Amino acid sequence: MSESELTMATGHEVLMEASPYAIEKKKLGMWIFIVSDACTFATFLFGYGYMRVGSQNWGTPFEFGTILNGIIMTFVLLSSSLTMLAAVRATQAGQKASASKWLVLTMLLGTVFAILHLREWFKMFGAGWGLFSNPTGGAVQFGACFFSVTGLHLTHVISGVIALLIIMRGYNRGRYDTSHVETAGLYWHFVDLVWMFVFPLMYLMNAR
Amino acid sequence: MGSYIGIVIGLMVIVGIEVVLTYQHLPVRTLLFSLLCLACVEAFVGVMYLMHVKYESPLLFWTVFPATIFVLVLLNYVWPDAYRMARMSLGK
Repeated sequence: MSESELTMATGHEVLMEASPYAIEKKKLGMWIFIVSDACTFATFLFGYGYMRVGSQNWGTPFEFGTILNGIIMTFVLLSSSLTMLAAVRATQAGQKASASKWLVLTMLLGTVFAILHLREWFKMFGAGWGLFSNPTGGAVQFGACFFSVTGLHLTHVISGVIALLIIMRGYNRGRYDTSHVETAGLYWHFVDLVWMFVFPLMYLMNAR
Repeated sequence: MGSYIGIVIGLMVIVGIEVVLTYQHLPVRTLLFSLLCLACVEAFVGVMYLMHVKYESPLLFWTVFPATIFVLVLLNYVWPDAYRMARMSLGK
């Protein structure tokens, strides 16, 4: 039974109109969040571009090793989108065990992404990089831009892994249904797609 | 599921093209334009297929996307000032 039919069937006096978007409220809420979050990321990336254009000596510090790490991270994140899709399909088919398996795999890939990311960060800290320090002698804003943008994305990935864990536990206990997994999937794909802008702009544009 | 595997492989191929372009030593503006175009293609494919917008009501698409793109275009008001700053730093 659809949400609108339920609204009419519950015996309330006020007859509510069906959603013009024909999607559930939680999904619409997630879309509104995604739009606002896309604007947040865009602001960060525009800010980075602004500082880069406004700096005389920006430089291109990333060696191929860093780029290779970024490529592996990208492939890991894209693979996690595929496992998330498999999890959603399994929930739609009512296959709880299979859905849990795919959700665990998605969380694992998200964790691998976070570990690779943090490894790169600590390598950079070891080389003297910081929010306000640039060991190559270039613009000091580089560190602030890089760590802010990638840090914001990393926070989203870690939050996504935690959210998936909560959704999976709730789904297995019967507290959450397919739509919860689908809504979490929307968030996960969004985080993946944001990386499709972060990787070329923050890594490839700074490749030596 | 097969079509989704194809889409994800396609996205991986685009990432590969981006990396190859990076090491072609193109002028910065050309590289930036190429990478942004490819990223937009990836985002569009991802939103339409992975996030299932293609299969939702068209109203969702027409509500969400023009408004988001409008906001993103408005953010570009910062660029003239960025170029002004670049000219100021060059004049030092």
